[in-house]
Amino acid sequence: MEIESNLYSILEKAERSGVSYADVRYQEHYYESILVENKVLRNYSSRKFSGVGIRVFVEGALGYASTCNMSRESLIRALNNAINVARALGKGGEKSLDFETNRAEVRSNFKVDPINVSPEEKISVTLDANKSAFIEDRVKNAATRIGFLKDLRLFMSTVGANVKVETVMSGLWHQSVAKSSMAMEKVGYSESKCAGFEFIASRDWNGFSSNLSKLAIEASEARTPPAGTYMVIVDPDAIGLLLHEAFGHASEGDLISTRESVLFGKVGEKIASEEVTIVDDNVEDGYFYPYDDEGTAKRRVVVVEDGVLRGYLHDTSSASKTNAQSTGNGRAQDFENIPIVRQANYFMQPKDYSFEELVEDVDYGIYVSGKGATGGQVDVGMGTFTFSVGPSKIIRGGKLEETVRGVVVSGLILDTLKTIDAVGKDLTIRTNVFGGCGKMGQTVRVGFGGPHVRVQKMIVGGR
Amino acid sequence: MSLVEKAVRRILDFGASESEAYLQSEKILWIEFDEKIECFKVIESSGIGLRAAVGKRVTLYSTSVIDDGSIEDAAEKVVKIAKIVPEDPEWRHFNMDLGKSSAEGYYDKSVEEIEHKRVAENVKLAIQKIKDYNVKVKPVRGLLMISTTKTFVANCYSEEFEMRETGVSAVVRVKAEEGQWKSIGSEHFETRFWKMMDLEEIASKAAEKALKFLKAKPIESCRMPIIIRNDVFASILGTMLSGPISADWVQKNRSPLSGKLKTQVACDKFTIVDNGILYGGMRTRPFDDEGHPTQKTYVIKEGVLENYLYDTYTALKDDVKSTGNASRGSYWLPPQASPSNLILEAGDVSSEEIVKETRRGLLVEDVIGEWLSNPVSGNVNATVTHAYLIEDGEPTTPVKGVTVSGDFYKMILEDLEMVGKDVRNNNQYHSPTVKFREMIVAGK
Repeated sequence: MEIESNLYSILEKAERSGVSYADVRYQEHYYESILVENKVLRNYSSRKFSGVGIRVFVEGALGYASTCNMSRESLIRALNNAINVARALGKGGEKSLDFETNRAEVRSNFKVDPINVSPEEKISVTLDANKSAFIEDRVKNAATRIGFLKDLRLFMSTVGANVKVETVMSGLWHQSVAKSSMAMEKVGYSESKCAGFEFIASRDWNGFSSNLSKLAIEASEARTPPAGTYMVIVDPDAIGLLLHEAFGHASEGDLISTRESVLFGKVGEKIASEEVTIVDDNVEDGYFYPYDDEGTAKRRVVVVEDGVLRGYLHDTSSASKTNAQSTGNGRAQDFENIPIVRQANYFMQPKDYSFEELVEDVDYGIYVSGKGATGGQVDVGMGTFTFSVGPSKIIRGGKLEETVRGVVVSGLILDTLKTIDAVGKDLTIRTNVFGGCGKMGQTVRVGFGGPHVRVQKMIVGGR
Repeated sequence: MSLVEKAVRRILDFGASESEAYLQSEKILWIEFDEKIECFKVIESSGIGLRAAVGKRVTLYSTSVIDDGSIEDAAEKVVKIAKIVPEDPEWRHFNMDLGKSSAEGYYDKSVEEIEHKRVAENVKLAIQKIKDYNVKVKPVRGLLMISTTKTFVANCYSEEFEMRETGVSAVVRVKAEEGQWKSIGSEHFETRFWKMMDLEEIASKAAEKALKFLKAKPIESCRMPIIIRNDVFASILGTMLSGPISADWVQKNRSPLSGKLKTQVACDKFTIVDNGILYGGMRTRPFDDEGHPTQKTYVIKEGVLENYLYDTYTALKDDVKSTGNASRGSYWLPPQASPSNLILEAGDVSSEEIVKETRRGLLVEDVIGEWLSNPVSGNVNATVTHAYLIEDGEPTTPVKGVTVSGDFYKMILEDLEMVGKDVRNNNQYHSPTVKFREMIVAGK
């Protein structure tokens, strides 16, 4: 790669200029998305961007600069900008950080590069899926989006790291809006995988969209559950969302180093029931994540083991501030941003209950489903959460019965984790090509999930 | 031949009937700070957005890789996609009237040439200013952003036009603490010129605000006269009017101002101007994002709705001329009709007089969540974080944690009592301090 030798000479130049450490991050990013609404192609958007971010440490001060012009002249200007900025800050307080020196070249599995597939073929899949959603006239509106990502990241540093990661991702999102005499309900859901166009070609998207229409119709005719505290079974989508937002962020090392997190100072304490083990890792079904944006290999982090808090997620900076080791969780949205602590694939480990066993012991409760969830709000300092989940089902006498809509669950995450009394043996982890998780203005793609989980007490409010 | 002119020609070569190229390159100094500088970044970015029309089939393709090979690929790709997207029956043509207006005051050489060291010193002084201000306050989040932007536009009807803009903006948040009392004070400033940016002054104002509101508390729910500070009402104007006065909203029938041209929509003290040639305005430029010259347009004159804002597409649809309001969020997005510098024109009283003439009321100094107000229904809603109760013409008790709400169109038509002369900007939106006869306050 010609770029690689140019970047190598930039690092050499950085060393000669007296930096104590420097790294460069080159990125090449393609994104394509096609939107069909009510059987009409609405938008075909296609975007390519690339460039380099240069990070330097000079006498403990951090400097950063980026450019999307790859000429040697422009790279040198960016390096000088970074050094200049670090010098402008004067002596900094950062301890010397401990960076890994990995050398690797990896790419996610894919057979057919989606960027090379003809636009006609992509439009045709999207259009067909959209048309299939109109199963009857109670379906009032249907939107379908197909999306593809190809992201190449090259990390090189003055301590000798050279890590190249290429990720290809494909997915389809669909939303159906149904109207009955009772209400209007919309249900949206997506399936994505770190794979090429073969993933799109292998699935029945017409069945996918018509099922979402059925669910929307069913929900539009359902009632909302009476507000109260219920025993609930939470599905993998919902437990994944809940863990990522309400617990995962609180376990991020930067919020520990500033003492903002509700989990600060609790390592070794029992914070959840013994059934609960929570892990952050690079996993097959999640987002492809062998290395982070500081060239650190991703380590499997057991955040909670049998109910006991074991550790946090770290990048090099938060690790140094808390006398820990980076877990490979330093991530940046793109080359214009500096890495910060982020989750990768955050999920609960399965145990040994079958779904039937989980349900049969519930006298009266709710089966909470994440499919069609519309979002929520959390406070990582307090550990409170509120989520609006998808159409769910009432459980009566150990059996799934009628559908309910407008289910909002809320509570204190540490209380909720303590009342988990049974964990299923299934495991589903999902990722999403259409978006990700936002923190401090940076969005990154993540994976999350878990098994089916039974919670003794959860507050459920109707809308 | 320049890069954009070349792109324009290549798109035609690949079989398009019309073509357009828009190139933007930007340099940003980005400094985040709290009690020290946390992050100092220099970002240089650029990108080109290509539009092709094949008959009435129109699309956009963009890339940040700007060299001959990539432009060639992008030109080929945009035409390929244009050929298969559905026709837009309303499509006429790209902008045929490219050129420059007389706009001035949008570029400052000293911004482009500023030294990093000088910027860092400035920020450090501002941090120190807060620390010295009072032991009870500390900076919790600050951002200084300094940018230089170059834009090039050309299409199949015209050669290239070029402009260079600069901008300096800052936000400082300060926290005050005393016993169980806690408060936040926040100040912002946006300008085109480096010499106008006084970061220490902004820092002191934020610190002063935080201290003054340490013991602020909610008041009882009621209806009362409300005075809204200039930059706060500027933001409310932006939220409530940007969409509704855009021809795009009007044509899609989403605007509450649809079908109301030449009618009285506000009282005669209410005059709204969209001024693309305002000296020093944050959105002042010689041409808009499709190369059309900018201009000054009366939107509402003494209460009468005079004009909507147009880009080429919406103008051709209504058989009128573009008002030079084409705007792209970024090079990879298509242009849309939206305001440049949107201004509520000054009245003739000072803000002190407005306060003095109010027996009892609420003087609103800062709000959050005003952007959640609904421009379609006209429902204004904001959470007041900083306000004073006015008693007998004097600001007295500091107030926070109440919401104010009202119907925007009733507010500007029936309830607008006084318009100040202290016009100030909040980014591209400008307003003086205003007084409304009555709004709903929800508190304890």
